[in-house]
Amino acid sequence: MFSYSIVGAQLYVGDMLFVMLSFLVLMWLIKIIAWKPITKMMQNRSDKIASDIDSAKESRTKAAELAATRQAELQKTREDANGIINTAKQNGQQQREKIVEDARNEASNLKSSAEKDIEQQRQEALANSRKDVASLSIEIATKIISKELNADDQKGLVDSYIEGLGKQK
Amino acid sequence: MSGGTPSTFEFLGLTFNVGNMISILIACAVVLGLVYALSRHLTMKPGKGQNVLEYAVDFTNGIVNSSIPGATSKFLGLWGFTLFMFIIVANLEGLFLHIDVSGVAYVKSPTSDPVVTMTLSLMTMTLAQFLGIRKLGYKGHFENYLKPFVFFLPINLFEEFTNFLTLGLRLFGNILSGEMLLGIIVGMAHGGPVIWIGAFILELVWTGFSVFIGCIQAYVFVTLSSVYISRKIELED
Repeated sequence: MFSYSIVGAQLYVGDMLFVMLSFLVLMWLIKIIAWKPITKMMQNRSDKIASDIDSAKESRTKAAELAATRQAELQKTREDANGIINTAKQNGQQQREKIVEDARNEASNLKSSAEKDIEQQRQEALANSRKDVASLSIEIATKIISKELNADDQKGLVDSYIEGLGKQK
Repeated sequence: MSGGTPSTFEFLGLTFNVGNMISILIACAVVLGLVYALSRHLTMKPGKGQNVLEYAVDFTNGIVNSSIPGATSKFLGLWGFTLFMFIIVANLEGLFLHIDVSGVAYVKSPTSDPVVTMTLSLMTMTLAQFLGIRKLGYKGHFENYLKPFVFFLPINLFEEFTNFLTLGLRLFGNILSGEMLLGIIVGMAHGGPVIWIGAFILELVWTGFSVFIGCIQAYVFVTLSSVYISRKIELED
C-alpha cells in the first residue's frame, strides 16, 4: 500500500534532508521572531515580581516600624498632656489659694483700717464734743458769772491776773 | 491515501517526495504564522495572544525541565517548543486539509510518513549523542554503554536503536492509522445518502479522536525525546 515506506523499495533521503533543514530553519526563525522576546519578557516579569515581593516586604516592615513609632509617640504625647493638665491643675489650686489668702488679708486689712478710722473719728468726735462742752460750759459760766460778778470781784480778778503776770516775769 | 505512487523527483541524486515537501512547508508556515501572530505587542502585562504563547512556552519548558535539569535545558527550551509546535501542527494538518490529486496525496499530515517521523527521531538521537559527548566528554559518553557491566554493550546499543525506532514509529503509526481510517470512512460515504449521514457522524467522531491522539503524540514525542537526552547527559551509576 505504501511503497515509499522505509521497508519498501525506496528511501527518500531527500525528504530526510528537507525535514531536517526545514526544522532547523523553523527553529531559527522562531528563535528570532518569538523565542528571544518572549523569554526576555517572561524573565523580566519574574524579576519584576520578585522585586515587587521584596519591596512589598520592605514597605510592610517600614509600615510596622512607623506604626510602632507613632504608637510610642502617641503614648508620649498622652503622658505629656496628662503632665500639663496636672501642672495646670496644681497651678490653679495654688493660685486659688493665693487669691483667697490675698482676699482674706485685704479684707482683714480693710477691716482693721476701718476700725482705726472709726476709732479716730470717735476720738475726734469725743474731743470735739469735749471742746464744745468746755466752751459751752464756759459760755454758760460766763453768762452766769457776768450776771453775778460785781465790780469788786472784777477788780479782784484783774488784780490776781496782774499779779500772776508779775510772777511770771 | 489511496495508495498511489507518490509524485517524486530527483535532484542531485536524491529522491524528493513532493507531497511531503508541500505538507512540511505548510506545517512550518502555520507554526511560524501562529507564533508570529501571537508574539506581536509583547508587554509586561500579557494580552490574549501573548498569554497563549506564554502558556505554550511554559508547557514545553515544563516538559523539558522536568526531565533535563540544569543549564542545558535553557537552549533545549527552544528545541522542545519548536518540536512540539511542529509535530502538533503536522499531526493536525491532515485532519483539516487533505488534498489528493488522482490518487497522489499532495497535502496531508507530514507525520503520517515514516520518513518524516524517523528523521525527527534521528535528529533527537543525534542531539542526545551530541549533548552527551559535550557534557561528559567522549570517554564518559561511551563508557555509559559499558554500564552496569561490559556485557551490557550489545543491550545498550540495541536499546539505542530501538529508542530511535520506537520514537519515530509510534508517532508515524498513530497519525497514519488516524488518516487511514478517515480515508476508509470517506470511501464508505460513497455508498448512498443514509450511509453518507452515518459516515459523516463517524468521521466527526474519529476526527475528534484523531485531534486528541495528535496532541497526545506531540506531547509524548517531546517528553520521550527529553528523557532520552537526559539519560545521555548524566553518568550512569
